[in-house]
Amino acid sequence: MVQLRPRASRTPASAEAMVDEGQPASEEAEHGLLLGQPSSGAAAEPLEDEDGEDELDDEAPEELTFASAQAEAREEERRVRETVRRDKTLLKEKRKRREELFIEQKKRKLLPDFLLEQLTAAPHTDIKKSPGKLKEVNLQKKNEECEKGSDSKKVKVQKVQSASQKSYLALRLKDQDLRDSRQQAAKAFIHNSLYGPGTNRTTVNKFLSLDNKRLPVKKAAAQFLNHAWGIQKKQNAKRFKRRWMFRKMKTNKSK
Amino acid sequence: MGEFKVHRVRFFNYVPPGIRCVAYNNQSNRLAVSRTDGTVEIYNLSANYFQEKFFPGHESRATEALCWAEGQRLFSAGLNGEILEYDLQALNVKYALDAFGGPIWSMTASPSGSQLLVGCEDGSVKLFQITPDNIQFERNFDRQKSSAVRKMIVDRQYMGVSKRKCIVWGVAFLSDGTVISVDSAGKVQFWDSATGTLVKSHLISNADVQSIAVADQEDSFVVGTAEGTIFHFQLVSVTSNSSEKQWVRTKPFQHHTHDVRAVAHSPTALISGGTDTHLVIRPLMEKVEVKNYDAALRKITFPHRCLISCSKKKQLLLFQFAHHLELWRLGSTAATGKNGDTLPLSKNADHLLHLKTKGPENIICSCISPCGSWIAYSTVSRVFLYRLNYEHDNINLKRVSKMPAFLRSALQIMFSEDSKKLFVASNQGSLHIFQLLEGSFKHLHTFQPQSGTVEAMCLLAVSPDGNWLAASGTSAGVHVYNVKHLKLHCTVPAYNFPVTALAIAPITNNLVIAHSDQQVFEYSIPEKQYTEWSRNIQKQGFHHLWLQRDTPITHISFHPKRPMHILLHDAYMFCIIDKSLPLPNDKTLLYNPLPPTNESDVFRRRTAHAFKISKIYKPLLFMDLLDERTLVAVERPLDDIIAQLPPPIKKKKFGT
Repeated sequence: MVQLRPRASRTPASAEAMVDEGQPASEEAEHGLLLGQPSSGAAAEPLEDEDGEDELDDEAPEELTFASAQAEAREEERRVRETVRRDKTLLKEKRKRREELFIEQKKRKLLPDFLLEQLTAAPHTDIKKSPGKLKEVNLQKKNEECEKGSDSKKVKVQKVQSASQKSYLALRLKDQDLRDSRQQAAKAFIHNSLYGPGTNRTTVNKFLSLDNKRLPVKKAAAQFLNHAWGIQKKQNAKRFKRRWMFRKMKTNKSK
Repeated sequence: MGEFKVHRVRFFNYVPPGIRCVAYNNQSNRLAVSRTDGTVEIYNLSANYFQEKFFPGHESRATEALCWAEGQRLFSAGLNGEILEYDLQALNVKYALDAFGGPIWSMTASPSGSQLLVGCEDGSVKLFQITPDNIQFERNFDRQKSSAVRKMIVDRQYMGVSKRKCIVWGVAFLSDGTVISVDSAGKVQFWDSATGTLVKSHLISNADVQSIAVADQEDSFVVGTAEGTIFHFQLVSVTSNSSEKQWVRTKPFQHHTHDVRAVAHSPTALISGGTDTHLVIRPLMEKVEVKNYDAALRKITFPHRCLISCSKKKQLLLFQFAHHLELWRLGSTAATGKNGDTLPLSKNADHLLHLKTKGPENIICSCISPCGSWIAYSTVSRVFLYRLNYEHDNINLKRVSKMPAFLRSALQIMFSEDSKKLFVASNQGSLHIFQLLEGSFKHLHTFQPQSGTVEAMCLLAVSPDGNWLAASGTSAGVHVYNVKHLKLHCTVPAYNFPVTALAIAPITNNLVIAHSDQQVFEYSIPEKQYTEWSRNIQKQGFHHLWLQRDTPITHISFHPKRPMHILLHDAYMFCIIDKSLPLPNDKTLLYNPLPPTNESDVFRRRTAHAFKISKIYKPLLFMDLLDERTLVAVERPLDDIIAQLPPPIKKKKFGT
């Protein structure tokens, strides 16, 4: 839209300007000569006018013909329209490129068609057991449908779930994470309150050895030997022994 | 009896999961027990405390509450925010309903049994209406509207109450307005709900008091502590003839070593279970009418089903765990000795295979074929079949893909003696027969269940000659099918106690059935009637000590050359029944330790009877005859289980 700059004493002049169209050119030329600035067209005029007003307050404001204003407005409009069109085309191109990228990605990620058919034909299982891939596939399909809807016609209502997807449910992954984290938090709470710091717990070894310590003839603790010590060392030793014996028998045989 | 070399196996690292919730159903006298791995077991308390049904666990389920509603429906709720209903006929989870309130901390049913209340993490209490097929969300209560909460709710919530951040582990609401709370400071507190004040406080323990259960008549309740003690509180009158009553702590019981996380109160007994995996049922002496062996303490520690299968030809054992299977080859010895000697191993037992399941579900059942080249196991959603190849000392595993779509979950899997056929009992009540070929299999036949009933077949037995298949369900009698002609042959009449073990003898094709009340029947399949020996023993009755055994018989096997011998075992003894010897009556000594040593031992010879019992190997998880001279006994000492449990509360004893 072209914003007309407000002028106090503009109205009578504009009325005159509307009536006779022949005069404005000469007036403009005069004006431009007076101020020593080149007449660069309609756009340049208002600025000069204001300067002129400052210097020469007594002078009546110059007349601006309707045609010039109209031309100016039309120019502005044209320019704005041009920019909008340019923006639109740029956006369209961007969207097209993104869609192509998505299609490529989907071709890479999506399960082969026959597997999808098998999945839809398979009996419906519990919500919890639907695999993560299915969820991804669902979300991508939804994305694709959304894109198509917005690109083609903006007024058309988007279809969220098509009728063929009856055998599995679409779950938002965000909800699943939330539910898991809450379950983990609850489990951690119980564990902390039972076994965390502040509780009076002891090891099973000490618990079982209490009786041994109170016998008249004291016995060793229930789990005195630590069988988990040096497992790797013991395994290596066993393997070495087997190899050594094999070698020894070979040399004996060759003798 | 003969001499046997016994392989004593102690490398089965079986650790049962701890007990998390317990719910008692008064109408059917059944107990539902939920464990930390999500398994739910149903014990029939009137059938000699036998575990008759179980629902396998799931990794994502962390059950926090279990309750019975009207019409024998079982619901559980857990930290994953879901309410599950269990189908007791088909033995699977009917559905899972998300309550959309975050982790669920407690659940209870209304006294009429038609509504379900659930307490969620976000502070809301949700009300569900129980419809015949489903449950429907009805209302949502906010934290303030606690007056709308029904009476007799056992609700567990956490709140930071006092300065030391005390956690309230259990709350019980009585119909006269008293609220009882148990907390982690070791206190049992009585509050008045009308005025909101503390009436009485009992400090009963140094550690947390973690669970509470009130009896139906509201005159007694039981609490369980983290030290393993349970306390019985009763409402008694102040003086002998006054009407004023008060709550008095009457009896402590110390049956557990670790935290007691769940207690239940039946009309005649206190039931407790906790992290130390025992289920303890303590009948109260004042409530029991007849003071016989039924009033004794029952402690259920070992599983009531067989978790081990054996391949006799290759001397392999397959151990079933919750999420994996282990295959071991038995060691061998070249030495000989006399009775009672321990022979040194020349070759150690070998851990051949560690097979993990994919996915979060637990394994329901597993089996290895007698020739050792097929392994099959089943979870809730799939059945897996593997082919093994042995080359020198290496083992090669190949999975048979393309399992049929109708085979979803199997309750029991069994291979035939020649390893050519696979029998699968599915939870819909149908029995499938597959023929095993070199790398694949072919579906031969399916026996559909009898009209109308969906009864899960729990136990299978196959005759050594491959002609007969016996299957027992949960209520009807034992069905015997003819495998060659693929039709139902006969049905053993139903008995009112569930079957604990089934086996078919080699030459005579007698079906031996053991029930949970320790009765043993022998049924002749070709003749379609009970055998002479079975009728004799039913007429005479078993020895009273035999009937008073605690643990059910889980496995029966036979000697290939001696048709008169039956070998059976339970957790604390194994017995060889010699049908040719006379039966003992109540006056004879049941446990004869030694056989007659020489000719002049007339007394011992005269008192010899058919039941040769040995208690040398206990606790026994599995016992079988490998060949004519060898037995294998898989033991699981209780100390080895305790050594792998979570840490218990510290007890300070003088002198340590």
